[in-house]
Amino acid sequence: MGVNYLDNRAKIYASSDFGDEPFHSLLREETTVQAVSETPVHKKAKPVFRAVIQATYKENFAFRSNMAVSLIVQPIYFLVQYFIWRAVFQVHDTVSGFTFQTMLYYFAVSSLLGFLNWDDTDGTLQRLVQNGKFITFQLRPIHHLYYAFFQKVGHRILAFWIEMVPIIGFYLLFGIKPIPAMPLWAIISVALSFILAFLINHTIGTMAFWLVKTDGIRRAVLVFKDICSGIFVPLTLFPGGIQKVLFFLPFQFISYVPARVFMGSYELAGFTLSIPAIVGLQALMVLITYLLNRLVWFFGIKRFTGVGA
Amino acid sequence: MMRKKTSSIYQWIKIYFHGMKTSLASRMAYRGDFFMSMIIMMVVELFGPLVTLLIYHNGASFPGWERHEVLLLQGTFLLSRGIAFPFFMGMVWNTIRRVQEGTYDLLLIKPRSILQMSIITAFDSEDLGKLIGGLLLFFYALKSVPALPLVNWGVFLLLFVFSLITMFAFGLFMTGLGIVWVGNYRIYEIFISTMDFGLYPRSIFTKVFQSIITWVIPISLLGSFPASALLGKEMTGVFGAMACSIGFLLLGLWFFHRMARNYTSAGG
Repeated sequence: MGVNYLDNRAKIYASSDFGDEPFHSLLREETTVQAVSETPVHKKAKPVFRAVIQATYKENFAFRSNMAVSLIVQPIYFLVQYFIWRAVFQVHDTVSGFTFQTMLYYFAVSSLLGFLNWDDTDGTLQRLVQNGKFITFQLRPIHHLYYAFFQKVGHRILAFWIEMVPIIGFYLLFGIKPIPAMPLWAIISVALSFILAFLINHTIGTMAFWLVKTDGIRRAVLVFKDICSGIFVPLTLFPGGIQKVLFFLPFQFISYVPARVFMGSYELAGFTLSIPAIVGLQALMVLITYLLNRLVWFFGIKRFTGVGA
Repeated sequence: MMRKKTSSIYQWIKIYFHGMKTSLASRMAYRGDFFMSMIIMMVVELFGPLVTLLIYHNGASFPGWERHEVLLLQGTFLLSRGIAFPFFMGMVWNTIRRVQEGTYDLLLIKPRSILQMSIITAFDSEDLGKLIGGLLLFFYALKSVPALPLVNWGVFLLLFVFSLITMFAFGLFMTGLGIVWVGNYRIYEIFISTMDFGLYPRSIFTKVFQSIITWVIPISLLGSFPASALLGKEMTGVFGAMACSIGFLLLGLWFFHRMARNYTSAGG
C-alpha cells in the first residue's frame, strides 16, 4: 500500500508543475538505469517560499482576466476623482494644503499602493476554518502565516504586470509620474505597508477561530481600514479631532504614510515628521501588529477543532 | 385575457416571496453574521457621501450645489441602489456562481422564464441594510430642504422609477456578461465603478461626459435628475435620458437572452 501510495504521488507530481524533486527522481529510477547514473538522486528541493510563490503565480495566471478587470475599473474610478477635484479646484487654489496636481498625484500613488497591498488572506483563512480544511496546515512544514504571506507575494507579482504597469501608463496620460521624491525611503515604506496590510488581514482572518463565518466583521474592518488608511481622501481633509485618532491607528501606515513618503513630506493631526522618522514609526507598527497577530493566533488556534461547519 | 395576466403577476409575486422566505431562512443559519452584515451594509452606505462631507468641511464646494443638495442627490442614488441590490441585483452574483458551478441548468429546467428564476433565487437579505442606509441619508438631507411643491415630488417619483429601470438594465447586462465570462465576480466592480458617475452632480463633468451619462448610459437618472427635479433645478436633456433608459432596458433584455443562449453548461 505504501509503495502504491508513493507511486501514485510520484505520478501526480511528475505530471504537475509543482516540481517536487524527490518524487521526480523516484520516477526516473524506475525508467532506466542509465538515467539514474546521470541524475543525482538526492537533489535539493526548492525552498518552500519559492515553491509557494511560483505555485500561486501560475495558479492565478490562469485567471488573469479576473485581474485585468482592474484595467477598466481603476481608470473609471480615477476619472470620477479627476472630475470631482477639477470641479472643486475651479473655485479654490488649495484644499487642506493640496493643489489639484498634488491631489491627483496622491490618488494615483494611493491607488497603486492599493493594488500592491491587496490580499484576501482574511477571507481565505476564514473559508479554511469554516470548511475544516485548515487542518491540513497543521500537518505542513510551514506556518500558515508564512504560507499565506508568500501566496500574497506570488499573487501581487502577477498583479504588478497585469494591473499596475498598464495603470501607470494610464496615469502618464494625465501627466502624473509616480516617481518618489526619496526613492530609497519610498521602497522601504512600500515594503512595510505591504507587510502591515497582510498582517492586519491575517489577524482579522484569525477571528474565524471564534466566529466561524466572518463576512460581516471582515466587511466592517475593510471599510474602516480603507477610510482610515487614506485611500478615499488624504487624511488631512478630516476634522482635527478625527486626525488625532487616525494618527494613533495602524491604518495610516498602509496607504497614507507611503503616499506621503512618495511626496517627500509628512503631516497629520498637526504633527510634521521627517521621512526617516515616519518610516521608523511604520516599522514599529509592523512589529506591534506582528506581535498582536501571534497573540491572537496563540489563543485562536486552541479553539480549532477541524470539524468544519 | 386580462384575468390570465393578473393571475400570472400574482403567481410571480407569490413565487418571489417564496424565494425571499427561503433566502432569509438559509441566511438565518448564521444570524449573528447576518445582522452584523446588514448593519455594516447600512453603515457603508452612510459613508457614501464621505468625500462630499469632507470637501464641504474644508470650505470647498461643487459649483452651483449646496451641501444638503449634494447629500439629497446622493441619498436618492443610494435609495435607488438600496432597492435594486436586495430585490433584483442579486441575479448577477447568483448567475455567475451558478454558471461557474454548472448549476445554472437547474434554473433552465424550471417551468418559468430564466430571467424570472434568476431574480427569484437571488434575493439578498443582507443588502436590505443598503436600503435602510439610503433611506436614512435621503431623509437626513431632506430635513435641510425647504418645503417642496407637490409637482416636484411627482416628477421625482417618475424619474425615480426610471432610475430603477436603469438599474435593472445594468443588472441585465452584468448578468449576461456573467454567463459568458465564466467565474468572473469582478463584473460587479465594473458596474459599481461606472455608477460612481451618478453619485455627483452632472454639472461637474465635461460636456462630453455629460452627454455620455445622459444619452448613452443614462447614469444621470440614478441621482442627478431625480434630485434636480425635487430641488427644482434645471434638467436639460431629461427626456432624452428617459428615452435612453427605455432603450437601455430593451438592449439589456436582448443582451441577456442572447447570452443565455450561449450558456454551455460546462462550468468553469
